[in-house]
Amino acid sequence: MGLKGEIEMLQKVLDFIKPNNSDPSEFLKRYKAKKRILGFLIAVFRILVLSAIGYVVIYPMLSMISVSFKSLADFSDPSVLWIPKHFTLAHYENARIALNLFTCFKNTILYEVVAAVIEIIVCSFVAYGLARFDFKGKNLLMFMLILIILVPDQMIIIPKVVNYSNLDFLGILGLINKLFDTSIRINILNTGLAFYLPSMFAVGLRSGIIIFIYTQFYKGLPKELEEAAWIDGAGLFKTYTQIALPSSGVVITTVSIFAVIWHWNDYYLAVMYMNVTDKWPLAVRLSDIGNQLAITLAIWGGDRGVAATNAACVFFVLPVLIMYIFLQRRFVKSIDRVGITG
Amino acid sequence: MYTERGQNNMSKSNNGSAIKKKKHGGIVELKSKYGYICVSPWIFGLIVFFILPIFQSFYFSFCDVVLTTGGLKTSFLLFENFKYAFAEEPNFTDYLGMSVGKFAYSFPIIIILSMILAMLLDQKFKGRTFFRSLYFLPVIIASGVILGTILGDTNVASQSNTDASVASEMINVGQIIEWAGLPDTISMYFQSAVAGIMNLIWNCGIQIVLFISGMQSIPDLYHEVAKVEGATAWEEFWFVTFPSLSRVTVLVAIFTMVELMTSQTDKVIKLAYTYMQSQSYGQSSAMLWIYFAIIGLIMAIVLLAYNQFCAKKWD
Repeated sequence: MGLKGEIEMLQKVLDFIKPNNSDPSEFLKRYKAKKRILGFLIAVFRILVLSAIGYVVIYPMLSMISVSFKSLADFSDPSVLWIPKHFTLAHYENARIALNLFTCFKNTILYEVVAAVIEIIVCSFVAYGLARFDFKGKNLLMFMLILIILVPDQMIIIPKVVNYSNLDFLGILGLINKLFDTSIRINILNTGLAFYLPSMFAVGLRSGIIIFIYTQFYKGLPKELEEAAWIDGAGLFKTYTQIALPSSGVVITTVSIFAVIWHWNDYYLAVMYMNVTDKWPLAVRLSDIGNQLAITLAIWGGDRGVAATNAACVFFVLPVLIMYIFLQRRFVKSIDRVGITG
Repeated sequence: MYTERGQNNMSKSNNGSAIKKKKHGGIVELKSKYGYICVSPWIFGLIVFFILPIFQSFYFSFCDVVLTTGGLKTSFLLFENFKYAFAEEPNFTDYLGMSVGKFAYSFPIIIILSMILAMLLDQKFKGRTFFRSLYFLPVIIASGVILGTILGDTNVASQSNTDASVASEMINVGQIIEWAGLPDTISMYFQSAVAGIMNLIWNCGIQIVLFISGMQSIPDLYHEVAKVEGATAWEEFWFVTFPSLSRVTVLVAIFTMVELMTSQTDKVIKLAYTYMQSQSYGQSSAMLWIYFAIIGLIMAIVLLAYNQFCAKKWD
């Protein structure tokens, strides 16, 4: 009795300390329960972290909207946090006058957006050549592509401005002037050509990144269709327009959103190319909003200034935001399929 | 017919060698002229709008440039502009130190933060599309102009000209610290830390998108193998996800560097622009070249270190 009883007691103690893992169904139950609790905790943690950081991300937007609708009494009212008690559109009216909204909006679309569209079209053609054909000097061109991404615009803006004020390719115009004793001078600053000309040659704003995205995409397209087209006698343009372009809806969505956003927010180039206040795009005008409020409306800072500034920012952000809201589903899906990452 | 041709060639060739001499490099070389056609506008643009201005800008930084109505007059002074930038311009070295310091600490934090956020956003859960669109929003909204305006870099007098103003409105750290009874210096420290974190998160948008796209191109096979072999989540990240992301990381690093260098709220560039707008082109060229030379040096060191230590050389 003694030994068997002791063995049973020992067995019970062992069962108490370390549960019997050799029983499969019980192990599975425990495993599933542990997984479920862990999964729930991870989900909660994830939502918390993402919401916290999401709050940081969206705070400027919400603050802009909220401040721009507040009436002046609400500024000094400490109980008003986000939702103003008296809605007012007066700040929007002030912002519209200070920003010279319609003119600047027209300028932005005329100069920047058209340049963006030209860039999207030309860069896709250039990238098709880089991706599909092998020619001597291609490695040098790929190196130049990386160089053009790395070198910032601000470094070369001064010589560009100097060149544009006296546009002269290879000194031809200077030669003509000397020979025929004329003084022709092409000055494309303050016109749209200062934006269109670089874009037409695929060296506009951030065009290196756009060419890179296109190149990665075209490298990932299957070659069979294009080879079939070549065999059937299609030349370069037919292959490009009939085969490559229709398949590239995905990458064109991605690239358009990037290009339009960058061109819309462009400040450094536009402020040097356009000296005349009437021709400023919206971004340049917005960055000078303090001065403009003082000049046009005699608002020298203070609460009215802050509210009008925020209203002006809302005006600036709204078109791009609307475009993004409409395209965002396609954009989020398309980024996965473009294959930027090779 | 085919073999006849081959036999004809063999009989015609000199020395009786069986190898037919090729006249061209095959279809690839024949098509190369199409490559040139495609790329030719870009080559022209590169030369006229990129390479030439770089040399001109380098030359300008050594000269005193005056833009008159007749054209451009440059008078060559050797290191005058550089001496002016360092010695006489009161703010330049301060701004340079601040900008380079900010770049040095923002750069790794942004990359790491984007990777962490991309890992979180890559898993399948219910609000995934909403959060992805949310994190891309700063690219559109908190762009340079808007951030500069909101953070008070304009002439709106009542806003305090620091990042801390928005940060203090967002999370009222000051009150929490007061309530906890800690001294005032800790409150200042926390406010600037929160402001710094906000600035970093706003700069993360495109990097998160790139990382997510990189993570989704890892074949599911690798993850399954890791799970079968019994790797924990931590090990799975370090041995499966992280090595496959090396190419994307280089891309993200280049992109982050460019964005940080040319951001709107960068004081050195603003200083150079005020010089530009007052038409003293030589001095502002010199300033820009100094700034970008330093940042370029840091970039080169980082990339070389990465190549030496981290990049696996099997392709």
